[in-house]
Amino acid sequence: MKKSILTATGLGIVAALTLSGCAGSPDSGSADGTQEITFLTHWGPDQVAMLEAAGDAFTAENPDITLKVQAVPFGNLLSTLRTQGTSANGPTIVGAYDAWLPELVRDGLAAKAPSDVVDDVAANWPENVASASSNGGDLYGIPNEIDLYALNYNTSLFDAAGVAEAPADWDALVEDAAKLTTGDQQGIGFITGWNSGAVHPFLSLLASNGGTFLNEDGTASDLTSDEAIETAELYETLVKAGSTDASKSTANANTTGPYLDNFVNDKTGMIIMANWWESSLKDAMGDSFSNVATAPIPVGPSGTESSSISYSWMTIVNSKADEAKQDAAWQFLTYLNGPDSGENGSSAMGDILTSMGIMPTRTSDIEAHAESLETPFLSTYVDALEAATPFPTVLGGPAATDALQVQLEALLNGQIDAKTAMENAARDVDAALSAAQ
Amino acid sequence: MTAVTARTLPETAPPQPTRRPRSKTAKWSALFLSPALIVIGVFTIIPMLMTVWISFNKWSMFTSITDMTFVGLDNYARLLGDASRMQAIANTGIYVGLSVLITIPLALLIALLLYFPKLKGKGIVRTLLFATYVIPTIAIVIIWGNIYAPGYGPLSAMVSAVGLTPPGWLSDPQWALVSLVIFNVWQMLGYYVILLIAGLTQINEELYEAARIDGAGLLRQTWSITIPLLRPSLIFVILMTFVNSIQVFDPIYLLTQGGPANSTNVVGFEIQRSAFQYGMAGDASALAVSLFLMVVAVGGVLGIIMKGRKR
Repeated sequence: MKKSILTATGLGIVAALTLSGCAGSPDSGSADGTQEITFLTHWGPDQVAMLEAAGDAFTAENPDITLKVQAVPFGNLLSTLRTQGTSANGPTIVGAYDAWLPELVRDGLAAKAPSDVVDDVAANWPENVASASSNGGDLYGIPNEIDLYALNYNTSLFDAAGVAEAPADWDALVEDAAKLTTGDQQGIGFITGWNSGAVHPFLSLLASNGGTFLNEDGTASDLTSDEAIETAELYETLVKAGSTDASKSTANANTTGPYLDNFVNDKTGMIIMANWWESSLKDAMGDSFSNVATAPIPVGPSGTESSSISYSWMTIVNSKADEAKQDAAWQFLTYLNGPDSGENGSSAMGDILTSMGIMPTRTSDIEAHAESLETPFLSTYVDALEAATPFPTVLGGPAATDALQVQLEALLNGQIDAKTAMENAARDVDAALSAAQ
Repeated sequence: MTAVTARTLPETAPPQPTRRPRSKTAKWSALFLSPALIVIGVFTIIPMLMTVWISFNKWSMFTSITDMTFVGLDNYARLLGDASRMQAIANTGIYVGLSVLITIPLALLIALLLYFPKLKGKGIVRTLLFATYVIPTIAIVIIWGNIYAPGYGPLSAMVSAVGLTPPGWLSDPQWALVSLVIFNVWQMLGYYVILLIAGLTQINEELYEAARIDGAGLLRQTWSITIPLLRPSLIFVILMTFVNSIQVFDPIYLLTQGGPANSTNVVGFEIQRSAFQYGMAGDASALAVSLFLMVVAVGGVLGIIMKGRKR
């Protein structure tokens, strides 16, 4: 009887599989040699349209290669890569955050750049930018954007509070924040609810106080240093003085929400934010955007100069894709980042980035877009590039960022004091780094 | 007499079905059930077994599933030693507990009010209540994100209007989880009310009539007739509230990202973050298995309560 049941089940399996047509075959390009490459990005509709236009122009010159753009929200970019990246049919090109690179390299997902691309990047990008796209001495991607942080402040609120200029050090920051705090208005806002938004401004203040997030080899935290505790004490001072209000600071997954609303509606005097936020501010503020000015990160008592955290993005090629597709992808990326694909000597990539208020990194792109980078808003960021402190790119970096974020939020909500926050953060960051090894 | 009975039996007794041999029936049953069994096997059993297997391994999801590294019980040990994940489990417990404690009595009260009094427009109220369950969470979250907005949000404005200082609904660690429970109660209440009303329709009207003749008042009828006879529906609603609450993810992902200060980090969100943000699928699977065991344990307890009552 058992044999009969097994036979019947087997028949059922065969019937079901036949009916559902489960069979599939990998897509390794069509028989005539044409290749369709997929570009996974988190850019918005306007930038996707520009990328598609660049793809069309490239296809006109290279009819055997076509481009398909797959856009997902920023919050879903990494998860999409995890679920689709391991397949040969997954995205061929991915816009990747430099903090992800160590893991992408360890797991063999990022393909090494071919020698012509290596030479091109070495010749046309600043060395420190190219190094952020490298791992273990090998280049894995073509750098595109770089982001930094600066103090953003509302000049009309400054005028109303009688504050003549942006604070250059922490004493002035505390004093000005107190002057700007009136009624329903907070002097300075710190983001909560979004990891990079919470951690990067803190680390920029820490860097401007002579401290670092991790030790030199990136294996453990450096958050119990005097510099780090002083930075946390700055937060504690501002919280106790009522100069910052955590209820006005939440950001949602799309990096909007009360934090943005309160700044654009004149309820927040100062924030520390990245250059790419310019387009969001312009959209939300309209004509009032002219009231927004930028200044370097204020210098702490143990620091000697202002230093912003910097992070960069790059485009990588999926090493799981077949060789022909990888070749086509590098060919397209060389074109996209080359000086002939954009307007007035810029690359198409440079045009896409500057359309969002983002700084490109290719030397010729910076020259081509010099005028738009010299605006009052962006020039502070451009000037900060030289003394920037790169965000450490190590295994476990995202988990370590979240661990610090939790303690900063507890500090901003007055749940713990500065020293406890840094001790807890050091413990949790170390655990996160260790777990990722 | 006996002869008459014997002669009349074939005419009055129902026709007996022709029984097929057992082995033949089993063969056909297996054939017809196999497509469904394949679907259950492929989409339920195999993923569950894989999750358990992954929980004993280290895997980033960037590599093939065959490239995992076996680590035994390390992921479970790390789960117990990780303050963030233990807080996620504790937050989930609080979220589930508050959801059950608030939703069930409220749903029962509304169901009683909508079923017993003869009022016009009851159907409209039921439809409106159920609508919150039908609308996709993402759409509701957009509205509730604004309702909870500090300062300019309607909820804060109402609290301010009565002279009180509104809390930071989603930004204050003391309030954020409670605010999400309120959202959950609002979203799910209508569904449970409908389930309880369906249960109320199964109670025989004559019991109430007899109770009234015996002089039982409204409270006595509710306590001695309605609640005992509604017990199966109540147990089911409690179980559903538990299962739905323990799986909470979307409002956390969309509104708070587990913050502020981890105060709304729940198991569902931590699983997503561990697997897709940190690339620690083994840790995430260990959490998922733990979550599954919690659901099974509570389901088992409720099942035992049900069985005990039946006896």
